[in-house]
Amino acid sequence: MLIQCPSCGSRQAPRLICTECGGPLAAELDCFAALGLDRKLVINPAALERSYHDLSRKIHPDRFANRPAAVRAASLSATALVTRAYRTLRDPAARGLYWLELNGHKLATDNKQVPGDLAELVFDVQEQLAALRAMAGRDAGALAQAVGARRAELQAIWDDSQRALAENFARWDSSGASDANRLTAELKAILSRIAYLRTLIRDVDRELENTKAA
Amino acid sequence: MARIFGIDLGTTNSLIGVMEQGAPRVIADPETGEVLLPSVVAIAPNGAVHVGRRAIEMEPHLTVEKDGRVSAAGFPGGEYGAVIRSVKRYMGLGGDEIAAEDRNRYAFADLSGPVARFQIGKRTLTPPQISAKILKALKRRVERALGEVVERVVITVPAYFNDGQRQATKDAGRLARLEVVRLVNEPTAASLAYGLNRIAKGNVAVYDFGGGTFDISVLSIKEGIFEVLATNGDTHLGGDDIDNALVAWLLADVPDRIKTDRHVWNSARRAAEDAKKRLSEFGETELVVALPGHTVSKRLTRAELEAIAAPFVDQTMRRCEMALADAKLETGAVDAVVLVGGATRMPMVRRRVAQLFRREPLCSIDPEEVVALGAAVQAGVLMGTQGDMLLLDVVPLSLGIETMGGVMERIIHRNTTIPTSVTEMFTTAVDNQTHVDVHVLQGERELARDCRSLARFKLGPIELQPAGVPRIAVTFLIDANGILNVSARDERTGREHSVDVKPSYGLTDEEIERMLEEAIDLGEQDLEQRLLISARNDAEQILVALRKQLGDYPDLIDAGERGKMEEEAARLEAARMGTDRDLISKLVNQLNELTTPFAARIMNFEIGQALKKKSVDELS
Repeated sequence: MLIQCPSCGSRQAPRLICTECGGPLAAELDCFAALGLDRKLVINPAALERSYHDLSRKIHPDRFANRPAAVRAASLSATALVTRAYRTLRDPAARGLYWLELNGHKLATDNKQVPGDLAELVFDVQEQLAALRAMAGRDAGALAQAVGARRAELQAIWDDSQRALAENFARWDSSGASDANRLTAELKAILSRIAYLRTLIRDVDRELENTKAA
Repeated sequence: MARIFGIDLGTTNSLIGVMEQGAPRVIADPETGEVLLPSVVAIAPNGAVHVGRRAIEMEPHLTVEKDGRVSAAGFPGGEYGAVIRSVKRYMGLGGDEIAAEDRNRYAFADLSGPVARFQIGKRTLTPPQISAKILKALKRRVERALGEVVERVVITVPAYFNDGQRQATKDAGRLARLEVVRLVNEPTAASLAYGLNRIAKGNVAVYDFGGGTFDISVLSIKEGIFEVLATNGDTHLGGDDIDNALVAWLLADVPDRIKTDRHVWNSARRAAEDAKKRLSEFGETELVVALPGHTVSKRLTRAELEAIAAPFVDQTMRRCEMALADAKLETGAVDAVVLVGGATRMPMVRRRVAQLFRREPLCSIDPEEVVALGAAVQAGVLMGTQGDMLLLDVVPLSLGIETMGGVMERIIHRNTTIPTSVTEMFTTAVDNQTHVDVHVLQGERELARDCRSLARFKLGPIELQPAGVPRIAVTFLIDANGILNVSARDERTGREHSVDVKPSYGLTDEEIERMLEEAIDLGEQDLEQRLLISARNDAEQILVALRKQLGDYPDLIDAGERGKMEEEAARLEAARMGTDRDLISKLVNQLNELTTPFAARIMNFEIGQALKKKSVDELS
């Protein structure tokens, strides 16, 4: 399907910058294509930021304030797509979820299921948090310290999961097609673990913050 | 195409600036030389409008006569006209969102409606209409100072302004007959004014403590790209709060009945404001308020003022920490800190900011002018004169929709770079359902009722189908102004759905149109101004032409005639600097008449020359 450039009228394959006049185009592209990247999961953050900035300089609405409404609308739509793509690909967990989506899989992000090997730790933490809440800040010093230690443990598990995710990404890039089923299952497990940890760490931080404020 | 001007529409003061020879400058009032226009609007009982210093004079207050008697002055409000200060506090608020203390301060009509309305005599005026009067005053200032008509502007808003507050600001611009090309966040504008891309690389924090609002923005600056990482703030926290606390302290021993009187209260507020400013330089000062019958007089040290201000400054510090956490930065990772807003003149504020960020803040640009200067720079960016400079700002508050059980489901998270869009799929819950209701919310709380209602809309009509079959894709797009736009498409048919969005708060398009029509008869002053500018331009044109002709054709005029013309031209030259349009027009006509014979001779001479040349050409 071809799209038409609102600046010069030429017709071309979907892209964000017109090959004829350099004007912005409203096109629907996936996140990788939007940023002009190959469909690879291992991404260099500095290079990603550079493509994002370079594209923004060319298509941002601030560059077209004096142009006709159709050009401004194309610039708005192209820029919204690029910022969303950048945000999705910048965060490894979001990138992984998006990858699953591209491959026709779905993963609920509000994950309430406790990863098996973490059950004991999670149970401990939840109990401590409940106790902390009950104390409402009174004489909570010692307990808060214990929770702080748990927080460090959770952080270490989090870091491990991020490393596992990076390894999974690298395997996709080297042998993805041949090993897709196994890699998908693994990616799902890692992402659901990360989603669970994120919620838990946020709860811990919130409770520690409340204790400090009280 | 007309130049774009930058406006700082502040709670306490407003300013207008523009780029000139590659540098931003603020435009002073040509008569008074003042750059700050106090954001105070007086509406007299007869409907006459005054903005700025003159409006402040009309504010209810107490005056002390020569014989020592104290009397009340100013428009007290209601049917006796009103003086409205800090109108920005009310921008985007619904009638039901007006705080009790504000209801003591001004008369409001329609406390249940979607827009706050000031009751002034028989009329009611909304905050955007009052703000429009400030914008018009700035517009007139430029016309008087530069002889240029302002048509297109950038207006700054607090970074933490929600969708409704932003929309209200745009409405104010429209009511002032201005094209608002872009809304820019105030702290971001300030970072542009400093040209931080030239002096700093890395992370910058902008601490903006103004009269009525507080903002903190954390930016990363790289090769001309100003990327906001996180922003936080409070749109109802500012220097005004410190003044009010000071008034409460000053009037602590005065009976409530007297204390709540607007004349007394305002007089005390003026004394408090002055004392606060003096204490930025001195260690101690005296506050005096003359009341009928007796005088309140108290001494205040800087330390005491700081104790009164501390709770407010503490709140700003917490907001800074939240912004840093969202930006995922440690306090030490900030490479520069910029101070913005009048309240940052307090030594205490500077000290606390320096402690938090562990570095001395930058304050080389006047903290009350820096936002307007930045707005002018952004105007330059939009005109394409600022090279590679580009601003990537964020949305300050999360946007979501109400789902089952009154839960807020976030679809665009706070601190997401704008413009951005998210498409959500909607379907029906029962067979043959023809419409789907969508409720859009803004805020960080879990429950819909704790967030701010932004808008409601109905999707449909939907073709009759079993539950769950229809697929309607709704795109929520936040533009570069931070304002939401909604569109919908039927995924099955590919047809665009019309979406009739009903904002929960704010003015409708029809209301704005009506206000614009009503404003035509009240807009005579604008017309007068335009006519004056056009008369001045005529004068300039004829004077320039005359000077050239006198220089080019000295032989076509005798000394007596020349003298008369020069005398008349000098009179016009003098009148052109004034504001008497009729006089300028009269003198232009007179000079025109006087120079007509001279112009005719020039014409004859030129024709003669041309003919001569032609015949010479023919002969040769």
